[in-house]
Amino acid sequence: MRLQDLKKADASWKDKAVYARYRVESIGSLARLLRHGPGKMREIFSWDWLRTLAGASNLLDMAVYTRTGRYREASAYALAEVIGGIGDLIDSICASPDRVIIHEDLVPSEIFRGMGLAPFMAEVIGIAVPLVKADWAEKYIDIAENEGTPPDTCSLPKCTMGVALDGQFPKSAAIVTSNMPCDGGMASYTILERELKSPCFRLDIPYNFYNDRAIDYFVSELKRMIAWLEEHTPGRMDWDRLKEVCIERNKAMEHELEIWELIRQKPAPMAGEAIWLAQLIHMVATPGSPRATRTMKNILRRTKKIMENGGGALPEERYRAVLWNPPTLVFPELFVWAEQQYGVALLADMLTYHRHPFIDVSSPDSMLRSLAQIIVEGPMARHTRGPAENFFDDLFYLYEYFSLDMIWMAGHIGCKNTMALNGMFRERCREREIPLFIMNYDLSDTRVVSPVDMKKQAEAFMETVMQAEPLL
Amino acid sequence: MNQAVISDFFRQIIDQPVNNLVDQAQEQGKKAIAYTCSYVPQPLLSLDGVFPIRVRAPGVVGTPMADTYLSSVICSYTRSVLELALEWAFDSLDGWVFAASCDHLRRLYDNLDYLNKPAFNHMIDMPHRGGAAAEKWLTEEYKSLGAALAESFGVDASPQALSRSIEEHNAYLSVMREISEMRKQDNPPVTGAMFQTLLAASTSAPKDMVMDELKALLARLREGKEGKPYRARVLLAGSHCDDPGYIDVIEKTGGLVVAERTCTGSIPALAPIPENGAPYETLAERALANISCPRMMESFQARVDEILEAVEEYRADGVVLQTMKFCDTWGVESSPMVQELRKAGVPILKLEREYTMSSEGQLQTRIQAFLESMGK
Ligand code: SF4
Ligand code: SF4
Repeated sequence: MRLQDLKKADASWKDKAVYARYRVESIGSLARLLRHGPGKMREIFSWDWLRTLAGASNLLDMAVYTRTGRYREASAYALAEVIGGIGDLIDSICASPDRVIIHEDLVPSEIFRGMGLAPFMAEVIGIAVPLVKADWAEKYIDIAENEGTPPDTCSLPKCTMGVALDGQFPKSAAIVTSNMPCDGGMASYTILERELKSPCFRLDIPYNFYNDRAIDYFVSELKRMIAWLEEHTPGRMDWDRLKEVCIERNKAMEHELEIWELIRQKPAPMAGEAIWLAQLIHMVATPGSPRATRTMKNILRRTKKIMENGGGALPEERYRAVLWNPPTLVFPELFVWAEQQYGVALLADMLTYHRHPFIDVSSPDSMLRSLAQIIVEGPMARHTRGPAENFFDDLFYLYEYFSLDMIWMAGHIGCKNTMALNGMFRERCREREIPLFIMNYDLSDTRVVSPVDMKKQAEAFMETVMQAEPLL
Repeated sequence: MNQAVISDFFRQIIDQPVNNLVDQAQEQGKKAIAYTCSYVPQPLLSLDGVFPIRVRAPGVVGTPMADTYLSSVICSYTRSVLELALEWAFDSLDGWVFAASCDHLRRLYDNLDYLNKPAFNHMIDMPHRGGAAAEKWLTEEYKSLGAALAESFGVDASPQALSRSIEEHNAYLSVMREISEMRKQDNPPVTGAMFQTLLAASTSAPKDMVMDELKALLARLREGKEGKPYRARVLLAGSHCDDPGYIDVIEKTGGLVVAERTCTGSIPALAPIPENGAPYETLAERALANISCPRMMESFQARVDEILEAVEEYRADGVVLQTMKFCDTWGVESSPMVQELRKAGVPILKLEREYTMSSEGQLQTRIQAFLESMGK
């Protein structure tokens, strides 16, 4: 636990059983990797990040330690599925070592699955491992900096580069990246390509994408990518298989949209990790997987149950908030704490929030078109590319849609794109009388701002701006 | 040849964010269009009735207002420009054209639009790679800029008019190229600081108002006077560097800057533009093939090769790779670039800098040590 002052919930025997059940499940979803035999185990367990992830079941403490009843069960379930999703990714690269595609976080991995390839999102390491061990990325940030990467470059690509420089990536048939999400992220692939020594394909995504011309351009990029992958890897496009992946994704999205609709109610029948972390892993890192659909369906079912019983997920929902910008990976308990301390329900975050269409599966072209749209208009992508309006319009829409009381902006110091909008943002929120909390922090480096300092900033905002009384 | 010969006319142009020649041209009814990136083609902003001004921020002292909006982790070129814009230094200009080149310039566009909205503010959607689809895309972008200029300023943006503009621009490039070629001599008559002064001045003023002076200068240079002795020939590479003062410090320490592979320098900006094709297409093709900025994916090796060729061509003893602090594209790329150049046996010094030079002494010390490490 990163925070000593999180209060342990008054748990019933049932609550304890829920914790035990999902903890065992989480351990099981990583233990299944053992089926790949001792040789493979030696190889993958030589990676420090994987050894650290082996302790991922501790993540359950974060939610379950402090919650009771159905909300505890839903949070535990969601976290166990998050761990399962990460397990799936590692499992698939072990099972198909000659088909591994290392890819950047904003490219359509559904296509790789349609081609029978095993996608592995490079940034998932820097995203997932600090959730388990807050200071884990720091060693790799230092490795990248010692190789000459500037200290001011975002710590997420820097961590990814450090892991590559340290030789901890699986062997890959190819790398696929793009010009997203930012200059630093894009440039990091020059290093990855050199270190991983795999052929690299780069997708080009236009700046202004709300028009057919941009989608046409990006569809042609996707076609170019498929042809390139067929030439450089054993993958072959199977449109029927891609259709299955797309249908699966549509199903998950249908459930997700329904969850959103339900949590508009006051008090919200679901909040926290079951919303933001589940979406991050299942819709961004492993979209179109049966696990993603199952997870969204089950979270929806649990949301309905909480609603049917009357009341909301939190014992006392006093405030409703959105967290904008990349989530606080080194301090995922932030909202567990805010829930306990002030009754803040976190209903969405930037990565959760998208407005994509469903995938039109009527033809290969229609699938590519929908996938193109999902990527160019995807969360993060449309906020770091394109004019500032994309960023503000989404936030102000969300503010209304979820009847929020405030906006929490994770002011990640390395994200120059979004740092350069904070001045405008403050003024626009002031005009609309929206309470805005910009929290200074670094996405992956606790040496810049520690979790304790992050919490102090939140306390100051809640008690001075929101005039909130602590619940405990 | 001495610095005074250049400074009389050109120095006063670069000392101000907007110089008197711009005012004069505007009094004659021409419209001044600001731009901040090499992907904005000068010939397109030189159509009859408009002229381009590459925005610089001379004299900026601190950027407190810009920091409030852009934050202090944004490159100091963009912060300096916004600071001056917020001091109304650019208010007399008639429009701005941006290219979506890097995160920093895009956010400069957003903040400028919000804080001091220009009457004309256009963004070119720049692809991040070459190839036929990207060329087609960029051609359309340039055409849409032409159409916007025609609509707002009544200029003739037809292909014929653009071809004429390209011809005129080529005449300017040819003068600059001839001067630049002289830098290949054993004892060049023009220093790097002088050359940067010429480049900065001629992109900050209407070209037709500087051409006579440039030609006169060229004639004097042709007389063949030799320059001062130096210790080593240096190629300057890296991000935006429009400050002759920075180069001057390198030269005062004994390094002669013989060429700049920067977006504000001699390579590749001075290459002639083909005149025998469809002009919008030609500009797009040239931009994607020629301007090798690290914001372009897929062309790292081309950038390394370009520097190696220039080292050979200009007989440079070493490379000073200067990157603007907070610039991610150059910042991240510089580490493998240093490795590649070292592998090729080229001595290299990597420096990080701010837009406005603050620590001259420190720069001198680094250059001094670099020259010594090369045995010079
Ligand atoms: S957090 Fe910002 S700077 Fe970091 S990778 Fe994402 S977009 Fe880039
Ligand atoms: S120096 Fe770098 S960050 Fe600054 S404007 Fe140029 S490319 Fe952008």
